[in-house]
Amino acid sequence: MSMMHASTVKDAAATSLPPTANLMRWVMAATLPGIATMSYFFGLGVISNVVLAAAFGIALEAAVLRLRMRPIRIALNDSSALLTGVLLGASLPPASPWWLIGVGMVAAIVVAKQLYGGLGHNPFNPAMVGYALLLVSFPTYMTLWAPPQELLPNGLWAQIAGTLPTAQLDSLSGATPLDAFKHKGEAVLASEFWATNPLPDGTLNAWRWVALAWLAGGVVLLAKRIISWHIPITMLGSLLLLTTLFHLSDPSHFASPLFHLLTGATLFGAFFIATDPVSAATSRRGKLIYGAGIGALVVIIRTFGGYPDAVAFAVLLMNLCVPLLDLYSVPRTTGQPKAAPGTPREPGERP
Amino acid sequence: MASAFDFPGGIYPPERKQRSNQSALIEAPLPSRVTLPLQQHSGQPARPCVSAGDAVNVGSVIAKREGMISSALHASISGTVSEVSATQITIQGDGQDTWQRLPSLDWRVADTAAVLERLNESGIVGLGGAGFPTHIKARVVEQHAIHTLVINAAECEPYITVDDLTLRHSANEVLEGAQIIAKLCGVQQIVIGIEDNKPEAITALQHALPDSQPVPVELSVISTRYPSGGERQLIKKLLDINVPSGELPADVGVLCHNPGTLLAILHAVRDGQPLVSRIVTLTGESINQPGNRWVRLGTSVRELLEQAGLNIAELHQVIQGGPMMGTPLPTLDTPVTKLTNCLIAATREEFPPAPAESPCIRCGECESVCPVALLPQQLHWYARAQEDTKLERYHLFDCIECGACSYVCPSHIPLVVDYREAKSRIRLQRIEAAKAEHAKHRFEHRQARLAREEAEKQARRQARQAQQRRPANIAAPSSEKVDLRGLRIAHAAAKASVKKAEKTLARVAQEDPKQSLDDLEMQLATAQENLKAAELQLAQAREQHSSEESP
Repeated sequence: MSMMHASTVKDAAATSLPPTANLMRWVMAATLPGIATMSYFFGLGVISNVVLAAAFGIALEAAVLRLRMRPIRIALNDSSALLTGVLLGASLPPASPWWLIGVGMVAAIVVAKQLYGGLGHNPFNPAMVGYALLLVSFPTYMTLWAPPQELLPNGLWAQIAGTLPTAQLDSLSGATPLDAFKHKGEAVLASEFWATNPLPDGTLNAWRWVALAWLAGGVVLLAKRIISWHIPITMLGSLLLLTTLFHLSDPSHFASPLFHLLTGATLFGAFFIATDPVSAATSRRGKLIYGAGIGALVVIIRTFGGYPDAVAFAVLLMNLCVPLLDLYSVPRTTGQPKAAPGTPREPGERP
Repeated sequence: MASAFDFPGGIYPPERKQRSNQSALIEAPLPSRVTLPLQQHSGQPARPCVSAGDAVNVGSVIAKREGMISSALHASISGTVSEVSATQITIQGDGQDTWQRLPSLDWRVADTAAVLERLNESGIVGLGGAGFPTHIKARVVEQHAIHTLVINAAECEPYITVDDLTLRHSANEVLEGAQIIAKLCGVQQIVIGIEDNKPEAITALQHALPDSQPVPVELSVISTRYPSGGERQLIKKLLDINVPSGELPADVGVLCHNPGTLLAILHAVRDGQPLVSRIVTLTGESINQPGNRWVRLGTSVRELLEQAGLNIAELHQVIQGGPMMGTPLPTLDTPVTKLTNCLIAATREEFPPAPAESPCIRCGECESVCPVALLPQQLHWYARAQEDTKLERYHLFDCIECGACSYVCPSHIPLVVDYREAKSRIRLQRIEAAKAEHAKHRFEHRQARLAREEAEKQARRQARQAQQRRPANIAAPSSEKVDLRGLRIAHAAAKASVKKAEKTLARVAQEDPKQSLDDLEMQLATAQENLKAAELQLAQAREQHSSEESP
């Protein structure tokens, strides 16, 4: 019976993982550079997203806990609902209307998390369930990504309140780099495409800075050992490998690995979304496969699928594989015999 | 040889050994009264052989070994036996400390049986914590060839400094004790595994090494990491041998002993002194004279801690053993036994109560510290859901309960507590299943016996009838068609099942002499009964058959 615990001893030699609630808070803290950079480039709409989504998160979690007759304060204290809000808020187009965020958070907190039993029991990443639902249901709003603009854009409040006429929405929207490249058309070569200056001024630059800010947050999480390296490294590795192969095979139609890395949600996804431990594969070996799978799916969906970005779908698809990965990635326990090569295994017999 | 081979995982908890390893090893004051539990070892409790009012000396046998795995018990002070209960013997001391020793034995020339018998009658058990009787452990050579004796001086748990102080003070004697075991078990090398946080003990060992004869001794200093003192972990680290799951180190030719045990062995053999005292670490923030003491077995914990300056106002709990694997004592009025290696009188601040448990988020931190490469997060899930087949598939029984997973869990889940509960639940089920199986076999045996008796009766009756018939010389009316072929087959099958039962019994008895064999013996007896019945029936049928044909 262990009397000592890493979080309560003050004289331990090695650093240890902070308690679960603090883990969540650390992840939130690490999103700050990314959110700040995004707001700098895309306006205060980013902040309003995050605040609204976080508020919805807490309110919905409390409401469902009340219905489930579970202690509210203890569960809210772990900050996991707050984190889901922050992550979904950060993925939505800036200044999304409040009802859109609300619908997304209902899907995330009520359906994807609490209906499955709350923290620790959800098979799918809640924020990505919310995001995927919104992307499928409200494509107009979800692709409404305004070009870089000043901190307080015109019509911000009307947008958030959802009172802006739909006709006016289009005038605000601009394409994301991934979107633009995807729809450049078969006949257009990549070099020609970039020569036309297809994006509003500074768009590519803004996306790169945002991506780097996410990377900075991710590095903090890695350094603090809040997340393990297994998922982000294998995800980015497989993404880079596949995009490099594609790019080398036909540079005029496949974007460069760097383009894939620094635009869209690649780095955000690698460090903040795919690393959600609850819905990820649990063993270290499983995490390697899980991460690599996400990276590969991102490339495949971006290149051949119908959506310009793919992190949400890739993560959800790999969430789906987790039970299988967990079954087949069990490490060999010390003292257990090595499976002789060629021994037939009964299906489902492992481990 | 550097410790190049590693076990997976491990943690670095605060060591807090400074508190007890600064002062020299001293004798605790002679207690005026001792309470000696009859069970101070693994196996069966000892059987008392004294009664209230008997005068005893230090070293007098007061309880004898009972059954195969058990150990004798000796008076630890001289005086009068004041009470013999079902679980313990109490001795009131006379303050004289009169000893009764056995004759000295020269282990270099004495024969193996004599040394083994000395270990047996001296009540030596493993002093590291498990308390396995040493003479039984030494007899493993009857089944396995042992090549290496490992001296487990890693002492990886925080707080405990027993082995450290034992080696600082008696390195020579510990090594001589090791040589006794080495000779007894015919080992070819002795390896000492010690963590690098005990420099003084290491120096003492280095000085003592040249004198250790005749088996070569190797000192292997390993880096400090919990749980390197786990038997299997240490064997892996020192020798790069994995002890297979479900087997013992002896199965791979290794024997592990703790320095304290080796010292006790030497005292028993060289000085004829049975196990009546041991070294105990007294530590924790609630006592102001921490350190290691030679303590007579049966001394009250309260008395011992009070002599070490117990501050009862600050005391929150007393832990027996280390903070990772030890247990809190429910009461201080409990005796020091052969298994008490450390007593931590802790304040509340020293071991703050664990914060409330939150849900497992499958972060996998437990997996990365598990020294046997289990998936504690999955075991947790299945243990809570009581999915026993899954638990066994994920090798719950390979868990050494070191507590590394509980130590790091960010959700403060008491994982080891869950695993222990699950283990005992599964063990109970196994015992129940075995009992049911045994009852079934007993029933089958009874049926077989009745069948055999019936067949005998039949045979007798037939013989009688044949005798009566012969004078009349009338052909016996063949009442029913005799199925000779069927009976022959049944006889052959019965013969085969007897052979099979015999073989199984022999194999199991050889593999694991400790295991209870009644069930297998019962199955063999059943098979034999069946065979007898089949033989009788066959003989009878043959006779009937021939009598039908001959006339």
